[in-house]
Amino acid sequence: MNIELTGVTRSFGSNKAVDGVSLEAGPGVLGLLGPNGAGKTSLLRMLATVLPPSSGQIRLLERDPGRTADRRDIRRRLGYLPQNLGYYPAFTVVEFIEYFALLKEVPSARVPRAVAAAVEGVDLGAKAKSRLRTLSGGMLRRVGIAQAIVNDPDLLLLDEPTAGLDPEQRVGFRALLRSLGETATVVVSTHLVEDVGAACSEVTLMDDGHIVFRGTPADLVTRGEGHAIGDAPLERGYSAVLQAARAAGQGAVAA
Amino acid sequence: MNQMNDDPRLDGIDLGRVWTGIASEVWRRHPGPVERLAIRLLRSPGLARALLNTPALLLPWLISTVVVLTVGGLMSLAGGEPLVWLIAPGIAAIGIAYAYGPGADPAWELAVSMPVSDRMVLLVRGVTVFAVNAAIGVAVSAVTYLATTHGLPGGGGHHTVAVSAAITFAWLIPMAAVCALTLAVAVLTRSASAGALAGVVAWGGTVLASRVSTGAFSAAVTDSRTYLPYLVVAACATALIGYTTRTQRRTQ
Repeated sequence: MNIELTGVTRSFGSNKAVDGVSLEAGPGVLGLLGPNGAGKTSLLRMLATVLPPSSGQIRLLERDPGRTADRRDIRRRLGYLPQNLGYYPAFTVVEFIEYFALLKEVPSARVPRAVAAAVEGVDLGAKAKSRLRTLSGGMLRRVGIAQAIVNDPDLLLLDEPTAGLDPEQRVGFRALLRSLGETATVVVSTHLVEDVGAACSEVTLMDDGHIVFRGTPADLVTRGEGHAIGDAPLERGYSAVLQAARAAGQGAVAA
Repeated sequence: MNQMNDDPRLDGIDLGRVWTGIASEVWRRHPGPVERLAIRLLRSPGLARALLNTPALLLPWLISTVVVLTVGGLMSLAGGEPLVWLIAPGIAAIGIAYAYGPGADPAWELAVSMPVSDRMVLLVRGVTVFAVNAAIGVAVSAVTYLATTHGLPGGGGHHTVAVSAAITFAWLIPMAAVCALTLAVAVLTRSASAGALAGVVAWGGTVLASRVSTGAFSAAVTDSRTYLPYLVVAACATALIGYTTRTQRRTQ
């Protein structure tokens, strides 16, 4: 298993952003759904080794991120796209991705080809030498995705990756996700249920710091049958699970 | 994206792979002599690149430069007061940590998820900030000195020359040296904490040793009047460090 969480909690003062989450995931694309404030970003930041848990056990890529040497090894094999990724406006696309490839300790001889593959992977070849300050929001998001995949990660964490992408780019991005998920564990936090339906092999739904659903997109659709709220089957499933979890006082994980 | 393209294989040739190879050569950036030297010394291409691009991150660079020069100016006003000399590097370090930390570095969240230690990157930033400003300080001091002695416009008079020289030679150059020592120890021991300890010992030793000439070698640590200021400064430094690392506690 590339991700093993046992009773993970993260508190900020008296607020528990993530509350006793247990989760296992191997290769594939795992969609992380949930309303604002559900704890998705905090969970993703803990998986990215940026935020330590308040309690509970985390093992990533069969290593303990609490140990310095293990954490460094995990980070070499990790790709992370934060929700609010800032950019260095004076850098070109290639310079930015190359910089993070070097910080990820990609061997120097492999960096040029890795950067080219990442830039081409997100279809930014025509803008490779452009300064970041000249790019649109969607293009910047693709630069962020490119830096996340430049080290060919075994664990890829993407927080709202499709924000700002146009429909054509989103279709292409989902195909990229499916391709990456053949060998790596890809966790995608998103508000867009159609992304989950199209690209994810599994879905985890969070609410108020808890996991309230774990299953396939088809399972989620099934949960929404007969439910009135939502325009699409996945949206109805999403809404039905949230409503049921809130009515039950949460804590019930179901597939 | 490209995954949506038609199969790029043609008669057994993977055209996508060929194109990536061509693109990698076209976009390849060849490191200059400074970067090659930095890679050799720091034993890390990532740290070497961080060192070179430190001034390119404009806002963090401006903030850290202003902090460093302000601290240098205050030190020159404070004269030989050992307390000021002992704490000044800490204030400068906090300023640089803030500027290249969550305060002003837009990609900081990403940078802290990298295998190259963010503390090592911070040490590299510190060396660059002091070294580049020291070089600029030497140039400014030389120009103002020449302009003043030859009565040229822009000289600013003897006071300007004295202040510029004091900040450069009594603050920027020694601190560049201490930072370089700190980084060297950190690289050798692969521990930023060991490097920082070496830097603190080097600077503290230098300041205390300088008191020998005034016959007040131990005044900085034995004079009870200095205890309260030390505690206040320590509390402020702790609060500032807590602030500069606040992303760890940011609610999401």
